Amino acid sequence: MKTMKSRRPGGASGGGIRKRGPTRTDRDGDMDMDNSARGGKRGRGDSGRSSRAGGGRSAGGSRPQTRDRTLNAIQQAISENNNKDSAQANVRHGKGGKGNSTQISITGWRKSNASTKRDGGVENLISFCERKLNSAPKGSRFKVTKSRVEGDILVVSVHPEWTERLLQLNGKLFAGVNITVELYDSSTAVLGQQLATSGSTSASTADTKLKITSILGKRFNPAAKLLDLSKLVDDTDLQAMGIFNSTTTQSKFFPAMMKVWEMQFTSSSERREAVESVSLAQNQLANVSVVTTMAQTFADIKNLDLSNNNFKDSQSMVAWRWKFRNLEFLDLTGNDFSSKPDFKATMLKWYPKLQTLNNVQVRTAEEVAAQKKTPIPIQAPHFQDDSQIAENFIRTFFASYDNNRNELINQFYDENSKFSLNVNVQAPKVQQTETAGWDSYIKRSRNLSKITHLSARMNRIYTGPQKIGEMWNSLPQTRHPDMATHPEQFLVECHQVPGLPDPTGQSPTGVGGLIITVHGKFDESVDGKVETRSFDRSFIIGPGNGPGGIRVLNDILCARAYGGHEAWSPESQPIPQAMAPMPAIAANPAASLAPAAATALPGFPEGYGAPAPGKTDTQVQQEQLVIQISTKSGMTLQYSEMALSGNGWNLDAAWKNFEELKAQGALPPTAFLNGA
Amino acid sequence: MATATDDTLTKVSTEGATEFVQSFYVALQSNRPSIELYYAAQPTTILFNGNQVADGAAVQEIFTNQMPTAKYEAQSFDCQIINRAYPSITPNGPKPPSEMTVKDMSILVMVSGHVRYGDGSDLPQRGFSETFVLIPNPTSDKGKRRKEWLIQSQNFRLVV
Repeated sequence: MKTMKSRRPGGASGGGIRKRGPTRTDRDGDMDMDNSARGGKRGRGDSGRSSRAGGGRSAGGSRPQTRDRTLNAIQQAISENNNKDSAQANVRHGKGGKGNSTQISITGWRKSNASTKRDGGVENLISFCERKLNSAPKGSRFKVTKSRVEGDILVVSVHPEWTERLLQLNGKLFAGVNITVELYDSSTAVLGQQLATSGSTSASTADTKLKITSILGKRFNPAAKLLDLSKLVDDTDLQAMGIFNSTTTQSKFFPAMMKVWEMQFTSSSERREAVESVSLAQNQLANVSVVTTMAQTFADIKNLDLSNNNFKDSQSMVAWRWKFRNLEFLDLTGNDFSSKPDFKATMLKWYPKLQTLNNVQVRTAEEVAAQKKTPIPIQAPHFQDDSQIAENFIRTFFASYDNNRNELINQFYDENSKFSLNVNVQAPKVQQTETAGWDSYIKRSRNLSKITHLSARMNRIYTGPQKIGEMWNSLPQTRHPDMATHPEQFLVECHQVPGLPDPTGQSPTGVGGLIITVHGKFDESVDGKVETRSFDRSFIIGPGNGPGGIRVLNDILCARAYGGHEAWSPESQPIPQAMAPMPAIAANPAASLAPAAATALPGFPEGYGAPAPGKTDTQVQQEQLVIQISTKSGMTLQYSEMALSGNGWNLDAAWKNFEELKAQGALPPTAFLNGA
Repeated sequence: MATATDDTLTKVSTEGATEFVQSFYVALQSNRPSIELYYAAQPTTILFNGNQVADGAAVQEIFTNQMPTAKYEAQSFDCQIINRAYPSITPNGPKPPSEMTVKDMSILVMVSGHVRYGDGSDLPQRGFSETFVLIPNPTSDKGKRRKEWLIQSQNFRLVV
């Protein structure tokens, strides 16, 4: 057996934090989980597998070994926490962070007749699995090449093709006991390792989880959104669990407790919203290293009480220099650091939203807001629609996209419609809480700054209903907010665009249409957890055979981490909440579709056809032409504009074109002001 | 115009968009006197956070005289061809199809990135999303600063 890490000098009681967690160490299938001197080059050495004894060896666990095991197990919990990415990958997929293999956990074998073997029966168990899966005469042979033991769990990594058959061994009888076979979940494993923390080998995983959950429950005030982790040393429940029997155990317990906390939530937004304030007061902390994982678990808290600890200077807190980006209140009274000359300046610099430091106001809300002030004022959306073409399309689109993507495609996408997706994996986000990865998207992302090969650029754009449909159906199901009840969560802008290809091929100068840009958010389910993401999406729509006489020509979607909707909330006049329907649009006077007081023509924005600041002469002339043809033909602004832009803004040609189309019955009722 | 193959169309559009994205944000950042060159003579709509700006000259004026320094990073962008035979209007009227090349296409470009206004690394990075419609440059000058495609419409929004 190869051993990737050597034992620390000082042997069993060394107990330093090992840098490699189980998921990473597993890369070569080799890991020194336990007393490495044992379970060495025995048995199946030439198979390339390294099977070895696990943390919970039942027989002969003399005290030093138990202790060593304890430390190792806790260290794994720690390094898993330090190695967030791979830990998360496991939680999400129940499989290895890398490569194309699935991790399966097998439990229940500890009490088998084979448990008296020196390796606790691991070898027998692996042979058992291999024998069972190879009992069928046909097909390739199953062989476990990677495995490891975590507490009571044997984790085997197998090619995904074997997953299903291996899982069928669940409940089968192995050496006198029924084994449990399921997809591996590292969060369960952490709890398994917590068994050791409790110092009691008989405690069950569920029991430990229960104890920790109960302790957290007593310390959590949901109404106040406060988690009070002060005076942990005085906690009799923790004392009863033996947490403080050694300083090492004590320091390693905290990350595991954070893990248990995280496991209580089914979505990152729920977790984020549960707690706004955390107290770590009176914990004799000299620096944040022991509790540092808290900065991931509670990344978005507003209030943090660190009073009456032993922080001496900024160096004692430097690990949190870039954490807690939303912190507004910080209490460091009763720490020497508070009396250092650089204290206030440093904290103000570290935490841009900090307003109250040691119960004194150090920054006003206005000053915090001013940091976000932009040189370009934020205005209500520019929404230049007519006859509600864009509005109807957008309303239909997001409801249908969540419920029936195929129908949406059949309605609005034709052979020339294009769709592509890009993921901005590094986009700024409003919350610091860890979010799920982009596995379901990234293989199709057409971010041209990363996708530079022509073939990939060609493969990642989808043309026509069939290809777009296949692509959409391969993306996760989504849930967008309801536009009528949560208009503030969307920003929809729209204006005209000339020079589109004419679907009938009749107009060599092209036709007019609309470009619609939407910013918003959606929820999706990632392995049972709800993940909220933000998106930007631009459509070009032109005349076509879909509802309302339109079709989608272009559709580009950008997905990114959740970024909130505050950024587009107008600076002077915040968008009123829950003002239906679509106040984001109605709020823009230029887009008002109501019969406007100042204009004789229904459906025309106020000031249309009149010169205004920012309007070019050409624009004014074109608007006047639109008014003319609209008056003459009875067509809406939108169709009038299409007719003109499609005919090079030649009034006579546009009129002739209109008469032809009208004669052919090619104009939908929505093309007319009194239509529909 | 000879019928271009899909790979030619993809190559021309994506390289055109890449060239545009790579140079336009540099211009906003450090070569503001060149901003106007990126715009069509008569753009349809130019929007910054919902504020409508008349044309390229006005954008350049705003960036030159009213904007602090700005550091942009286009983290992700994509493009699609809108019209592969865009009907450009030349001084002699609409450009006849016989004179069109593969570059006579209009392109939809969408950018996602971040921008930091002002000097100082402590200032916040704001997320933005920006959508452009690019049309072929109808002029035939051969100057070094000539852009192959020009902005017909632009919609910039801070989104984070």
